[in-house]
Amino acid sequence: MKITQTLDCKGLSCPMPMMKLAKAMKGLNTDEVLEMLGTDPGTKSDLPNWCQKSGSVILEETELTGGVTRFLIQKK
Amino acid sequence: MSGTSKEPNVLTQLFNTFFGKHWPVWVGGIVLGTLNVILFAIKSPWGASGGINNWGENLLSAVGLLHPEHISPVNTNLYGMLCILIVLGSFVGALFSKEFALRVPPVGELIKGIIGGAIMAVGATVGIGCTIGSFFSGVPALSGGAIIFTIGLFIGVIIALRYLIWEMDRFPSWSTGKSYNFLAVKPNKGTWQIVLGWIMVAFIIGLAYIYNGSNITMSWFIIIGGLMGMISQRSRFCIVKAFRDPFMSGESHGAVGVMAGLLVGLVGFTAIKLFGIGAGETAIRAREMTWVFPHFWGKAAIGGLIFGIGMTIAGGCAVGTLWRVGEGQIKLWLAAIAFVIVSPLSNLFIVPAIDKLLPQGMKYKNFLPDYIGYDGAFVLVLAIILIWYVFVKWNEKTGRFSAF
Repeated sequence: MKITQTLDCKGLSCPMPMMKLAKAMKGLNTDEVLEMLGTDPGTKSDLPNWCQKSGSVILEETELTGGVTRFLIQKK
Repeated sequence: MSGTSKEPNVLTQLFNTFFGKHWPVWVGGIVLGTLNVILFAIKSPWGASGGINNWGENLLSAVGLLHPEHISPVNTNLYGMLCILIVLGSFVGALFSKEFALRVPPVGELIKGIIGGAIMAVGATVGIGCTIGSFFSGVPALSGGAIIFTIGLFIGVIIALRYLIWEMDRFPSWSTGKSYNFLAVKPNKGTWQIVLGWIMVAFIIGLAYIYNGSNITMSWFIIIGGLMGMISQRSRFCIVKAFRDPFMSGESHGAVGVMAGLLVGLVGFTAIKLFGIGAGETAIRAREMTWVFPHFWGKAAIGGLIFGIGMTIAGGCAVGTLWRVGEGQIKLWLAAIAFVIVSPLSNLFIVPAIDKLLPQGMKYKNFLPDYIGYDGAFVLVLAIILIWYVFVKWNEKTGRFSAF
């Protein structure tokens, strides 16, 4: 799978991860994939809600070491 | 099936139901609204900025900046203790769900935490309350000032959100850079967080038990405060999110959660006030006027506006700040510290100056049933909540007022 852009939101808390994500996704074309790295637990519930509204899809959610969660999000 | 994996027992399944995933915000809102009604039935409704101010008074008194004569020690102050227990309850929730970690953001974010916390303190002292006392409790208390405070909050949130978007576009480096994450664990490891969580539960129960003989009200505040912190952390209940997200991403989950809590509070508070439940030896009128502050309309509007700006910059309202402190967000630690220090200073220097400027007609107690009766006040507040609900749902669909 080709990742078009990586968004590093490590250390950021609400609302910055979702603000940065929304802005970054605006710059992607349909079907392109964004990798998001974050440490805010809130993103785990904010992201599905945002995807439900925007139509984008979470392809993968992985727990990495150091409390980092990696999301792969495809723009639709 | 001949699978080797063993199904967890029913108690483990129950534990996982509460701590495996985040709760829907509306569930958190309903439970918090119910606990708020119980607090009012016992003594008086939920408030946060008063408790934080009590911490600040004690801190400044300890370093010799305030005279201690008129300051109640934190361990005897119901709201000072309630705020401490919200932090501890959230700590328990974060530990049980293995979400606790010390999260240090980039420096720019830390600075925003301090500035946002300081602004919140000014807003709460000028407006006589925060998003809890003057909104989540104030609106169901049928206070006219609380409705004005809410309008101020909305305007403050919109102004500060526009600032954050401008900052992200013009100075992206302010929210990027080196960050640190300590004590984080993977879901299948870190049993120490669960063990520490149970130790904290035992501590909270022990603390409530200590007060049981001398101050039963405090015991209840301790238990309810702990539950409020845990529920807020599990449901990500945050009032700044409720006000901000419709104008940011267009989402309505946070707003609907808060509305659910307001509705529960509205029914419970109206019944308590109308029937004088829990009035005891105090006059029924005093019970009716509980959480109706002398801030209608000017003080409420100014306080709400300032608080709205502060909470949006900090990324957490009063309770949102407290429960994020409990899950280890260092930005919100700094916001809380700034709130604690600035709150008593604002009461000493800023509030008297604003009080001097405002005429009496802009800072009086406005109890809505005095003007339109209990029926009219109840229907008015219900209508405001319904209009808000229709707006956020329509905006979620159309994105008409969303920035993204």
